[in-house]
Amino acid sequence: MTSAIHLVFSNLSYLILSIVIFSIMLVGLLILSEYIFLEPYVVSHIPSGTEFGFVLIVSISALSALVLPMNIFRINILKKSKQKMSGGIFGSIIGAVAGACSCGPIGFAVISTFGSVGATATAFLTNYEIPIRIIAIGILAITYFTTVRSLKMECKFVPNS
Amino acid sequence: MNKTGVIIGIIVIAIIAGVAVSLPASSSETVNLDMGRTHGTISTAMGSPILGDPAAPITIVEFGDYQCHQCYNWFHNTKPAIVEDYIETGKANLVFVDLAFLGRDSPIAAQASYCAEDQEMYWEYHNTLYDFQESKIDGGWANSERLKAFASSLGLDMDLFNSCLDSEKYSKRIQYNVQQARDHGVRGTPGFFIVGPDGQEQLGGAQPFSVFKQVLDQMA
Repeated sequence: MTSAIHLVFSNLSYLILSIVIFSIMLVGLLILSEYIFLEPYVVSHIPSGTEFGFVLIVSISALSALVLPMNIFRINILKKSKQKMSGGIFGSIIGAVAGACSCGPIGFAVISTFGSVGATATAFLTNYEIPIRIIAIGILAITYFTTVRSLKMECKFVPNS
Repeated sequence: MNKTGVIIGIIVIAIIAGVAVSLPASSSETVNLDMGRTHGTISTAMGSPILGDPAAPITIVEFGDYQCHQCYNWFHNTKPAIVEDYIETGKANLVFVDLAFLGRDSPIAAQASYCAEDQEMYWEYHNTLYDFQESKIDGGWANSERLKAFASSLGLDMDLFNSCLDSEKYSKRIQYNVQQARDHGVRGTPGFFIVGPDGQEQLGGAQPFSVFKQVLDQMA
């Protein structure tokens, strides 16, 4: 497992890509979920009772930063199919969308724009925010393990091919 | 002459009856309701009664929804320190304006708070709603039956409260408040305007006490 990680992230481009994905996802989700505020001052805080949500956001960001570059590596270097990539993207998107809580910084704007459909969707995302995030982590974890297994198998044959 | 007398008599009786019927409703409607009340550019006429000293130099206008989780977070994590340091000391006061948009129970809960205001129990009822908020929007915790149960637990006159809530007499009031939020570009709940002697500042979200302290101290 560590050899697959080492294989991908020993390449500086993939390491930078991973850091960029992690930073953008983490900061974006923390802003959406009101752990970070940019106005009138840049400030971060973890309100009491929301610690678990914070841990889930960090986990989704970290897993996305791990899984997406590994799959891009598979496609670019090993010229493999894009099938596993979709699992990573799917998991990342689900995890990110769960942060679009209806009473967050954009909730009223979303509902005003999309009407009852927006209200139903955001209410669903709010009610099931934690389970959706756990499902996203599950998808990303499964994608990670299948990617690592693929890399091990595929890389074994690369030097001889 | 007799005919005129009868007509005048009927009119007088009708007027007296009309005044008698409308008196209880109109007197309760006007409790804490100053139709001309504004804070900065915001009309708070249809908002909550003022929490704290009405003469305080700074007013915090909160736009909120009783089903909003972030409002719950703000209520429990930030508001207590603001109440202690600014409202109880007379440095600031607070007005709650309903941005009831999250679900079908949101406007009903907001209306219920004004039914409690009729019995001068607005803030007690407001606090109860945020104390007993549950995680699911429209999950039943703020439906009509539960709202009546909250009122009963506070010892409100249930005949008055039930007739008020069932008649939806404050539905227009809630719509007016939501329009105020829309007019002032509030994008989510909770949303705040800190209105001081020299202007107003908008704060979005359940920001921590440190941010409010900084803004309030600058305005003082």
